[in-house]
Amino acid sequence: MKHKMLVVVLALALILPAAAVQAQGDGVTLQFWHTYNETSPENEMLVTTLIPMFEEAHPGIKVESVPFPYGEFRQTLLTSLAGGEGPDLARLDIIWSPEFAALGVLEPLDEIMPDFEELAAAVFPGPLSTNVYDGHTYGLPLDTNTRVFMWNKTLYERAGLEGPPATIDELKAQCEPIKALGDDIYLFSDGGTYGWAVLPWIWSFGGDITDPEITRASGYLNSEATVAAYEFLAEMVNSGCFSPSFLGGGMDTGQGYFNDIFASMLDGPWMFPIAEAQYPDFEIQAALMPAGPGGSISVVGGENIAVFKGSRDTEAALEFLRFTQSDEYQLKMSEVGQLTVKPALLEDEYFQNHPYYGVFLEQLQTARARTPHPTWTQMEEILSDAGQLILRGEASAQEALDAAAEEIDSLLAEGL
Amino acid sequence: MPAQSQIHARPRRVPLLAGRLSRPAGAHLRYRWYVPYLFLLPGLSLYLLWMVYPLGYEFYISFFDWKIMPGQTSQYIGLENYRRVLDDKYFWLSLENTVRYTVVTVIGQMVIGLALAVLVHRVFIAKRLFRAIYYLPVVTSWVVVSFLFQFIFSSHPGGLANYVLTQLGLLSAPVAWMSETKTAWVIIYTLGIWKGIGWSMVIFLAALQGIPVELYEAAAIDGAGEWGQFRRVTLPLIRRTTLFVLVALIIGGFQVFISVYLITGGGPLHRTEVVLSYMYDRAFDRLWFGYGAAISYILAAIVVFISFVQMRFFRQTDEE
Amino acid sequence: MSILPRTQRGFQITILIILIAGAVIAVTPMVYMVSTAFKPAAYVPEFPPRFIPSNPTLENFRTAFASRNFDRAFFNSAKVAVATSFVVTALASMMAYAFARFEFPGKTLIFYSVLAMMMVPTMMLIIPQFILARRLGLQNSHTGLVMVYAAGGMAFNMFLLRGFFEELPRELEESALIDGANQFVIFTRIMLPLARPALSTVAVFSFLGAWDEYIWALTILTDPAKRTLPIAIQNFRGAHATDWGLVFAASLTAVVPTVLLFIFFQRYFVQGISTGALKG
Repeated sequence: MKHKMLVVVLALALILPAAAVQAQGDGVTLQFWHTYNETSPENEMLVTTLIPMFEEAHPGIKVESVPFPYGEFRQTLLTSLAGGEGPDLARLDIIWSPEFAALGVLEPLDEIMPDFEELAAAVFPGPLSTNVYDGHTYGLPLDTNTRVFMWNKTLYERAGLEGPPATIDELKAQCEPIKALGDDIYLFSDGGTYGWAVLPWIWSFGGDITDPEITRASGYLNSEATVAAYEFLAEMVNSGCFSPSFLGGGMDTGQGYFNDIFASMLDGPWMFPIAEAQYPDFEIQAALMPAGPGGSISVVGGENIAVFKGSRDTEAALEFLRFTQSDEYQLKMSEVGQLTVKPALLEDEYFQNHPYYGVFLEQLQTARARTPHPTWTQMEEILSDAGQLILRGEASAQEALDAAAEEIDSLLAEGL
Repeated sequence: MPAQSQIHARPRRVPLLAGRLSRPAGAHLRYRWYVPYLFLLPGLSLYLLWMVYPLGYEFYISFFDWKIMPGQTSQYIGLENYRRVLDDKYFWLSLENTVRYTVVTVIGQMVIGLALAVLVHRVFIAKRLFRAIYYLPVVTSWVVVSFLFQFIFSSHPGGLANYVLTQLGLLSAPVAWMSETKTAWVIIYTLGIWKGIGWSMVIFLAALQGIPVELYEAAAIDGAGEWGQFRRVTLPLIRRTTLFVLVALIIGGFQVFISVYLITGGGPLHRTEVVLSYMYDRAFDRLWFGYGAAISYILAAIVVFISFVQMRFFRQTDEE
Repeated sequence: MSILPRTQRGFQITILIILIAGAVIAVTPMVYMVSTAFKPAAYVPEFPPRFIPSNPTLENFRTAFASRNFDRAFFNSAKVAVATSFVVTALASMMAYAFARFEFPGKTLIFYSVLAMMMVPTMMLIIPQFILARRLGLQNSHTGLVMVYAAGGMAFNMFLLRGFFEELPRELEESALIDGANQFVIFTRIMLPLARPALSTVAVFSFLGAWDEYIWALTILTDPAKRTLPIAIQNFRGAHATDWGLVFAASLTAVVPTVLLFIFFQRYFVQGISTGALKG
């Protein structure tokens, strides 16, 4: 009969879910999910300096840092939340905030934080606004950034070029000399036709995605200026001036830039610490986005920090959120390429004499944010597909954008 | 080699799915009525809970605008999910791609697998070594080989595929494999065939080893050459094995997922999307669970239908 | 070879050349992986590609094991794979024995129902399985992995083992019965030891299946401490700029145990997949 017992025990062990109750002592352990890049020093700063600093000041609260690759983060977060296993806090790309707010998984900070007004007043209004959904604010900005024009000094010198182009026309004129260096060397590269990549061109050409109220794309996405931007990109890719990585799946832009394959790219401040770590001899050269008819307009990036409903300890989570808004956190992160969201700090000598932030701060004056809307992920897919059709010469810019505008119109009409 | 003699003996003796249940044990074995059920209970409960119940539950989900987030309510929408799936150009594209993948890789694995099996069967030395080497890719994880092929087919001139093909003069310049739909498929097809050959080879080899040598000798006396012997002796005698390999590979082909998901992610423009990658994307990226459930059901229906047709075919050829 | 006629010798040499060429193609990707794992940081492929690293280094392995709970993932995979292997072998053999040796009402119906499910692509059930796992609180739990892996492999392994049990002579059990042994004793003391080769086949295949499984683990595990190897490897790949040396060092760590298993149990592999020819 021993065996019978064994079988019963085995069956029970299998069928009863393992009670995954976490043993908790007096304190609480918060999970902070983020996409701080592990191959650059920002993650190390968080784990070895900032979190210990917070834990020391808050005995009883532990913070577990959970890093994810950017590409998988949104979906992993969605799946976990669907399963009720979400984090306490997360660092969200500013473009995801409205979507998660609309799903009802974020805490409205303006309702639950007595000191919210004070914290909100200390940050740039632009990044703050990306947290607003339906009249409430669901997070606070953590860092901000934008893409500037980075050029490869070695290639520019070899091609006999003086320096970065001030305008898109000048950029175009740099193609011939760069092409002369070799077939597999390109003037410029980017990783696809998603918003982050194409929006600086659309805006600098004077185009747009939707009306300012985000009610329709027709008349904006298929306007003359937007069409001109796409026609320009298509021409550059087809003539071999811009790399075929625009079609997706090509060489990583940053790596091509560091390895003297791509003469220029648009990228953010985190590239400096990456270069320092991986290519210590490489000197990144940064300039403003080349100007077009619409000016020199780049895209605002950055992250927000939000607290999730169902947190193990909301008060403790809010305490960590407050810590991320402190001058200490903001300054430390700025050392590793995460530009602060607090205007007061920019007066600090550190930023006044900073080797590379100057150009980003200047670019941020005119930079714009991607459409803050819960359906952005879907809009972006439409946008990206239209870009692919155009760059592959399978549709004219006008045709593809007319169709895309119509799709986005109906998406906006439907809501989520 | 005892292992091998067992192998070729089996497929013949035990009929395929049509196999009868074992002869009643008779009165020799006495047991209480509930004993068989006790033996079945643990395994069967696990099976019911994780396979049978989900199968039914998924059918239910497919009639809803299913909301997964806590606090949201799902809405019954009848056949709407199915209607939308059948209206979705990306679904049809993913289905077409799945069928094409299945055709290409099944033919590739069968032809090359059989050819290698014949050669390994005939070679006098290192039979087992060759068998092991060809089988090696089969035991390697899909995740690992997907990344490996992504690296081999790098757009960089130093990518292994680009380098070898340009050196051989088959390519005039390095190719950005992942950027174009056609070349992206080359990666996925190559991987599918490369990884699967060993499996069909081992099965064909086992079948070949079961063919009596006398048959070849008789054919040789009749004046049949190598090719004639292959056509007149080998092919007819391994027909059942061939059909089995065909069915198994087709079912496997329809389940292609990891390589697509990890290598191209369905891009560019959903053009390398296959049914399961599309289903997974809609369900877990868009959170359209009802929609994903409907896609799953349509795929399952297709696979089950194909299996039935093939089993009919099996039985018919058996009866002939 | 010398006893072969001249034409046969030519024939053999031709076959050997073709087979060796094929073998080279079959293993080249693996060799490339191994060599990349021992090269210093590789963000882009080396030009020209080299199979023997010019400066071989263990740095990638060191970095891999030092980061992102990779050692933990290795341990997790081992744990899940061993558990799956054990559960499948135990439960499938019990079911197989029942179908092979007993007569009971509903036998045919249950048997064919279980078999029919084998045609259903496993991944199509991922949506309801996910919802079920959530309801049972099995997200981020290895139990959730083991249960689904075991359930998914149950039908095929049961079928394989049933065939084996049926071929065993009945006389052994009959004499044991006369000695008064009950069915459980017969099963565990007589049948299981006899079925050792078939059980090994089932155990090895279940182990490998669980060791390599990707999408279910990806879907229900988010806690980094719980991740299994395929997910850990993917995380090395995930970042924008991939250090391929690191990816392949991690991959190699995951592949080596499976290859060793394959070499040691080659006989069972061959047996398992050929018996699989019954699956249809």
